[in-house]
Amino acid sequence: MDKEILISGRNLRRHYRRGSETVKALDGVDVDVRAGESVCVLGPSGSGKTTLVNLLSALDAPTAGELTIGGRRVDGLSERELVAVRRGLLGYVFQQFHLIPTLTVAENVALPLLFLERRPAPGEIARVLEAVGLADRARHLPKELSGGQMQRVAIGRALAVKPRVLIADEPTGNLDSHTGEAIFDLFQKTVREDGVALVLTTHNLVMAARCDRTLTLADGRIVS
Amino acid sequence: MTYSALAWKNLVRRPVRTALTAGGVALAVAVAVSLGGFNLGYRQAIAGSIEQLGFQVMVMAKGCPYEAATLMLKGGSGLLYLPEEAHAEIRTDPDIEAITPIFIGIAEKQGYSLDGAPAASAYTILTGVEPDSFRQMKPWLQLKTGAGYAGGRWFAPDATNEVVMGYEVAEYEQRKVGDVFYATIVPNGKVEPELHAFTVVGVLERTGAQDDGTVFLPLRTAQEIFGRAGELTIIGIKLKEFNGIRMREFEGRWLKIPEVQVVSLEQVKGALVSLVGTAQTMVAAVAVIAVLVAIIGVINSVLTSVHERTGEIGVLKAVGAGRLQIFRLVWLETLLTSLAGAVPGSLLAAGGARLTDAVLRHVLNIGVTQPLVRITPGLLGATILGAVVLGLLAGLWPAGRAAGLRPVEAIRSGE
Repeated sequence: MDKEILISGRNLRRHYRRGSETVKALDGVDVDVRAGESVCVLGPSGSGKTTLVNLLSALDAPTAGELTIGGRRVDGLSERELVAVRRGLLGYVFQQFHLIPTLTVAENVALPLLFLERRPAPGEIARVLEAVGLADRARHLPKELSGGQMQRVAIGRALAVKPRVLIADEPTGNLDSHTGEAIFDLFQKTVREDGVALVLTTHNLVMAARCDRTLTLADGRIVS
Repeated sequence: MTYSALAWKNLVRRPVRTALTAGGVALAVAVAVSLGGFNLGYRQAIAGSIEQLGFQVMVMAKGCPYEAATLMLKGGSGLLYLPEEAHAEIRTDPDIEAITPIFIGIAEKQGYSLDGAPAASAYTILTGVEPDSFRQMKPWLQLKTGAGYAGGRWFAPDATNEVVMGYEVAEYEQRKVGDVFYATIVPNGKVEPELHAFTVVGVLERTGAQDDGTVFLPLRTAQEIFGRAGELTIIGIKLKEFNGIRMREFEGRWLKIPEVQVVSLEQVKGALVSLVGTAQTMVAAVAVIAVLVAIIGVINSVLTSVHERTGEIGVLKAVGAGRLQIFRLVWLETLLTSLAGAVPGSLLAAGGARLTDAVLRHVLNIGVTQPLVRITPGLLGATILGAVVLGLLAGLWPAGRAAGLRPVEAIRSGE
């Protein structure tokens, strides 16, 4: 428990207006994420899992509460300031991969470096592709890949900036169980070998059991 | 991976839309370049053609100034004549360096098309000149030499059946030295035409001016066959010192001759330029509209693209792209679209300059022989630069809209 806390949330709330109604997507959540640990967020659809990981990855800002990412308070920051928090510290993996269809595998992986205004070092992208098992697919386009391979590209893209926290929203949700297991193994390997913190949402209880900690959400609150 | 490469890949993702948008820009740029080339070329063509006349001042019978302006450049019907005594009087003016009397008449050429119908362009300009004073006014005129042109010379001053042909009219009529040139003329005061046969004694080298289309013959002969002995069409004058003051002084001295007007070729130039000014303004308005439509097309295309890629832009933000980087990316797409239109549009205008020139020449019929459309590297560069600047302005809105998207909302709307 003496590992560095990379993300800390206290009494996090995220409320939306939907017409005259206020939707409490998150309603008072406390969460800590430490370096090198894997945290699984469980819960039924609509429980607030995606809202929580969006806050933890600085893609969204809380309506209320205190959120610290990488030692910096981010609640109340503008979108411009949130970008600075995301860059280099956080890697994000989507359920639907969200690869850029016109870019090759290698170009998709190198994309975050472009936004860091940094050219990849020789062999840097090849090493990432090697790590995610796609060394022989560097010049392929996403449409030429299977679902599992596309998710590996997405993980490679998230890892390219050597993040300290990897956040994945239902990363195996669109994959068959065998492929999903392989993807989860890749996440676990990253946590183990690179000391990266992992926060992922899933419905898969087997996968959740393999994480260091599990948070269960219901109606925007942590219930266990 | 660079921003330009990323932007280009985004554009080629929708090749038809990109091609249509760039095509709109290309058309607008082609119109703008052609108009610019016309503006540039027309003034030079007028100035060049007037320069080739060899004199600065014309004395002619009173009439419409526009007719006067075009008379010496392309000839014309309804010619007015002044008495030859005017030449005798004016040549005594102390400010004159050179003076030459000119008689212009229109003759029907002998020639028919294959089916026996009269040829479409069956008229030619016959210009009666004094060989010595005319050549003194135009020292650059050279007679063609070589096979078929050997022994070419100017006609004798009193010859009655000799002509010297301009380069183009000789080519058109397929006449060389020693050939016969036929012309049918209806003399003044008569109804029946008379056929005249002339021996071609010389053919002029190309001048690029109105002389190329003219058949020259001795002044006296011209006056006689047209039944206008003692009459002239124009007196061409070169002053020792030519400026506004000298011109006004000269004009003041000779306006006393009834039915005579003194016209400076600077005035002629001004009249011809203003004659086409209205047409140029209208074409410029069309060009402006074309450019505006092209800009709207670019804005529409990039906005549509941004709308379609809202989710993708959210993903780019999620993987680290900031507002400025998204702005830069979309702006580059606009810039590339503009360039993809501007460069081919400029080349199209440059490649089609001769066609544009022919169309303008046909529509305007102003009689200058030099190119009406001059497309220079500077003009091309300025137009491409202008298109790029307008493209960048057009990209401000779509790029700003894309940059302002919030990642979570953008990703959600794209799913």
